[in-house]
Amino acid sequence: MGVAEEIGFVLLALLGGALLTAGLERLLGTAERGPARPLAVARATALPNADRWLLPAGPISGLAGVLFGTVVIPFGPTLIGRDLGIGVFYFIVVIDFVVLGVALNGWGASTSDAVESCYRIVAQLVSYIVPLGLAYVGAIMMARSLVTTTIVDAQSGLWFIVLQPLGFALYLVTGLMQSYRAPFLEAFSDRIGGGVLGVVGGGPALVWRVTLSGLLFLVAAMGAILFLGGWSGPFLPPPVWMALKTYGLMALMLSLGHLVRPLSTAEMLALSWKILTPAGLVNVLIVGILILLHIGPA
Amino acid sequence: MSDYAPVALVAVLAVGLGLLALALRAGPVRRIEAPSAWAQFRFGYPIYALIFLAFDMEMIFMYPWAVVFAAIGLTAFIDMLVFIAILSAGIAYAWGMGGLEWE
Repeated sequence: MGVAEEIGFVLLALLGGALLTAGLERLLGTAERGPARPLAVARATALPNADRWLLPAGPISGLAGVLFGTVVIPFGPTLIGRDLGIGVFYFIVVIDFVVLGVALNGWGASTSDAVESCYRIVAQLVSYIVPLGLAYVGAIMMARSLVTTTIVDAQSGLWFIVLQPLGFALYLVTGLMQSYRAPFLEAFSDRIGGGVLGVVGGGPALVWRVTLSGLLFLVAAMGAILFLGGWSGPFLPPPVWMALKTYGLMALMLSLGHLVRPLSTAEMLALSWKILTPAGLVNVLIVGILILLHIGPA
Repeated sequence: MSDYAPVALVAVLAVGLGLLALALRAGPVRRIEAPSAWAQFRFGYPIYALIFLAFDMEMIFMYPWAVVFAAIGLTAFIDMLVFIAILSAGIAYAWGMGGLEWE
């Protein structure tokens, strides 16, 4: 497959994911809240107290986070931007440029709602990153590699979701936190007028729309790589399997998240540190024992 | 180093697209009149931030360990057991002292 076709496929996959997200959010009635809220793309905004440099730096940083993350996502054995040696570690680091972007945009806009959004998004990062990282560690231990394609190859016999159900459950919850979907909507909640999303308009609004829907797609794609065997599957070509698994995981996350009432930042922090982080440590120990018992990929 | 050439390319792409979007001036301008947010905030999570720092570093230590774990086996497992035990004691202490209560 040529480079142009690869880029075309990835863009198509992203577009399909964004359409699916929009459709599901509308179906579940969550479209009016959180990152899927309507944005004033056709109208630019003027903020009298805004910081000259931090405000425009926000959307650029957010977009960079999503585009950086896309580099290591494999849609097939060779259909990957660049198969970096530190693959998943690189991914977990660069994806947080989105958090930095929202924080910069919120602080730079200098309205009380936007600054509140900045604080809440940082609190959300503090909540999800440790249990999320521990969910990654389980898959890395069994695959013995940080390379995304090697992790997929290691699941050719049995998907890691079967061997690590606890890790997968952790990934579902922390993935929702990472993509700011229900029930973790605090950073863009209605009570602060949508926070950062309430004060952006025009081009930046368009960038945030792309960034936040791309973020959910990337989180689901990484979930498919770590726990659902990535592109592997019978009959259909690899990219189709990868897209199917990613969309399936997106649909599963959005529908499960919809069943829970929205959590406040305090409740989210408590959930993360009192339940998810200890569960993540237990998951690492369970996976360690499984490997010592020679269960998993040889 | 050429491994990271696509990453550099993506960085250029992101900045370019971002600047292009910022330069996009379409439609009427909506002026948001809000008082400046320069005010004293009560910061709710300094203790969370400190605990976070400790655990984030621990997680980073775990990545190289996870890669070589299967090759080393039981010794690596016991090493990490001790490490996790110390950190669990840390989180138990913070919890017991009320560090995980939202102010």
